[in-house]
Amino acid sequence: MVIFALLVSVAFACVGRHTAATRIKYALLSFLLFLAIGIGVAWLMYPLSR
Amino acid sequence: MATHAPLSEVREKPNPAIPVVVAIAAWIVPGLGHLLLRRWGRAIGFFVATAGLALAGYALRGEIFSHHSTDPFGALGFIADLGSGVFYFVSHLVETAGPDLSRASGDYGTRMLAAAGIVNLLGVIDAFGIARGRRG
Repeated sequence: MVIFALLVSVAFACVGRHTAATRIKYALLSFLLFLAIGIGVAWLMYPLSR
Repeated sequence: MATHAPLSEVREKPNPAIPVVVAIAAWIVPGLGHLLLRRWGRAIGFFVATAGLALAGYALRGEIFSHHSTDPFGALGFIADLGSGVFYFVSHLVETAGPDLSRASGDYGTRMLAAAGIVNLLGVIDAFGIARGRRG
């Protein structure tokens, strides 16, 4: 999940932003959101797996 | 007597084939379209993202869909995998052991391979738009 989030965030940053500094910030934000939402949804689905 | 427009007003019409060539190049080799447009950052970014996802998918032994798929999900998977260009065409050389769907890692690999194709298609659309002058 971490590798997927990192690489897709890089692609999103390349499309969405035009300078190196803004791309890095955007990629970092996107990466953290991917992880947070992924882990959050996983915990939400946890009761369903029991 | 015919009048001619001043030289300063003569503008070269952009070649309509250039965006198509750029898009095809971007599909075949991830990042090549942006490279042709001298967008170095985007070229590197799309190449790294697509190559990383594809290689991770091969390492996890994900399934690579072929055009022989009979069910709709297989057909969609083929279209997604095909989007990664050269990484799809050399997949049988890289993933020699074949897919391993008995483990969860094989499933993750399948998704990563599809994501590689989708990310590259995003790059193709972006390169096409830049070549047409619609994007910065």
